[in-house]
Amino acid sequence: MITFKEGNLRVPKWNRKVFVVAGGTTAYRKHFPEYKLEELVMMAFKNMLEDNNLKMDPLEVKGLINFATYGEFADHFQDQLLCEAKIHDYLGLDPLYNLGIKTGGATGGSSVLAAAMAVASGYANVAMAAGWERMDEVDTRTGNFYISTAACKDFETRLGRVYSSYYAPMANRFAETFHVSEITRAKIAVKNHLYACSSPYAHQAGKYTVEEVLASRMSAYPLRFLECCAMSVGSACVLLCDEETAYKLTDRPCELFICGGTHTLRVADRRPMEVPLLPHETPEMYKDLYSREGARYPGFESFLAARFAAWLVYRMAGIQNPIEDLDLVELHDAFTISDLQTYGDIGLRPYGQEQDYIESGDAYYINPHTGKPGKCPSNLSGGLIGTQHAVGATGIFQSAECLWQLQQKYDQFHGDPAIWKKWGKQKPKDWESLQIPESSKQALWVSHAGVGSHVTVGVLRKSW
Amino acid sequence: MAKRKIQPKKKIETKKKVQIKKKVQAKKPKEVKFIGQATKLRQTEPTWVAEWPRSITHIHTYGMLSPFFRGLKEGKLMATRCPNSNCPEDRLWIPPRAHCPDCHTEMVWKALPNPVIGKIYTFTEVDYAGAGIELSTPYWQVDVEIPGLATIPKSYLLYGKPYIGMKVKAQFRTKRPTNTVLDYYWVPYEQ
Repeated sequence: MITFKEGNLRVPKWNRKVFVVAGGTTAYRKHFPEYKLEELVMMAFKNMLEDNNLKMDPLEVKGLINFATYGEFADHFQDQLLCEAKIHDYLGLDPLYNLGIKTGGATGGSSVLAAAMAVASGYANVAMAAGWERMDEVDTRTGNFYISTAACKDFETRLGRVYSSYYAPMANRFAETFHVSEITRAKIAVKNHLYACSSPYAHQAGKYTVEEVLASRMSAYPLRFLECCAMSVGSACVLLCDEETAYKLTDRPCELFICGGTHTLRVADRRPMEVPLLPHETPEMYKDLYSREGARYPGFESFLAARFAAWLVYRMAGIQNPIEDLDLVELHDAFTISDLQTYGDIGLRPYGQEQDYIESGDAYYINPHTGKPGKCPSNLSGGLIGTQHAVGATGIFQSAECLWQLQQKYDQFHGDPAIWKKWGKQKPKDWESLQIPESSKQALWVSHAGVGSHVTVGVLRKSW
Repeated sequence: MAKRKIQPKKKIETKKKVQIKKKVQAKKPKEVKFIGQATKLRQTEPTWVAEWPRSITHIHTYGMLSPFFRGLKEGKLMATRCPNSNCPEDRLWIPPRAHCPDCHTEMVWKALPNPVIGKIYTFTEVDYAGAGIELSTPYWQVDVEIPGLATIPKSYLLYGKPYIGMKVKAQFRTKRPTNTVLDYYWVPYEQ
């Protein structure tokens, strides 16, 4: 049983404020034979330094960096130990120190967290978090096997060798406990594939119907291929700095808050416990939820790691009610079910009512029921299902997307035909902007590993 | 046969010639030879893409959990339990742990009495599996609640179709064991 003592629940506090000022990315693809990995990271790095309207020359900005964190999911995929050294040298950042960060699917979020710690502590005034993954050196099934070694190799890996088979039991249990139709999951897939159509970086953009999703090939029942994330190649980075430097570099910095939580690698080992309550929740809300036979928290339905990270970061950032206080979320939709589960963990809806976030239309750019903007749209980047999951890059890419949205730069980074051309694509004639309104103040992103082994929840706040 | 007789003669002649050359080039250093296999190119334009094959065996220890795997071979499901009477956790663990996560005491082993009857908590049908899968697809992967356990271990159903709440009985691969967690599985249990 997890019981907390006083020190365990201390809410993290930066020693000084931390800001994000710029982001960079490559496009994402299944195969990227045109470029070596370090070349891709250089392209994301240049994108960050050169294309974010910073008020200094790119090389002068580079001259401010004095620390870097690098996110890479698996040495298996890169087939290169100390890849960080190779990348760091290639970017021309020696002998500044760097740390390699590795927390599975949450690697990107953890890299941002580590860079933020460097700025908050005073180790660095300007720190970069960069991430990458090269998942095309092996065939897809071997890639699936590599990823499945992020399940327990003694007791779980042999039972599936594909990660969808560790999420699918959660989907079945979630549907049983909370009476959720698979149509709700299919709607998430439709939405995220569709939003990816507006992104020049997207690997799995597509216009599908709910019926097409449900008729698509099964990976592990009930999860279809169109409900699963991409296995991508690409890189992303963001630039973090202290308050003084932030305003020197841009008129539109965003203040950063980010916390993490963890839970067992094996879902099997998750012992029942009481729900840690978010600021807007009360014990009465969950009085009857887990009284049904076999129902337990967090069980196979929820992620304690995500709940704990949200529990901390909402207190750190002073967020009272996420659905009211947030204007955009970028969630870790590795599978439709994990996206759905997370709605409860981060309090967009109470546990047990997760599906209402989709069914109400709140999760959409334009609410399909009202024709007006969704209350708190989700994964306008296209997410992991539509745009990319180059694992080490993902949590960093999501933070860059949140930054650009708050800075009102969605069109600048997604609508410019030159960007589409740069990545060998043509901007669609029916391209639609997914820019959130100028009045938007706060965006949140979730970076998530394993079946919820590590989760970071970050909040960016408009600071101008 | 005739040709074979002729060949040795020629070879002897060649050897003589070589010996003369060797004498002349006596100071030539011993060269490093390439003993690998030529890398196969998958693509040459616009960039080179090469194949780097690999075959690896890891030497993996079951460490202090060895009794669990030994137990499967003997047709027993072995669990661990924390013997510390002051520890709040007194339930059994499968997957087993050698140390209690709550108080760090070394755990003790207990064999679950056969037949082990459990209840399916949730399940999936694995249709598309990753490279190296050792079970024939499609198959039902099941998470089973076992009375007295703190955990809900993952395994597979040998036959039949699972549903949440279905009663199942543990069976063991005691003949031709795989020496892995695949040596136990569940079958539908009808009383």
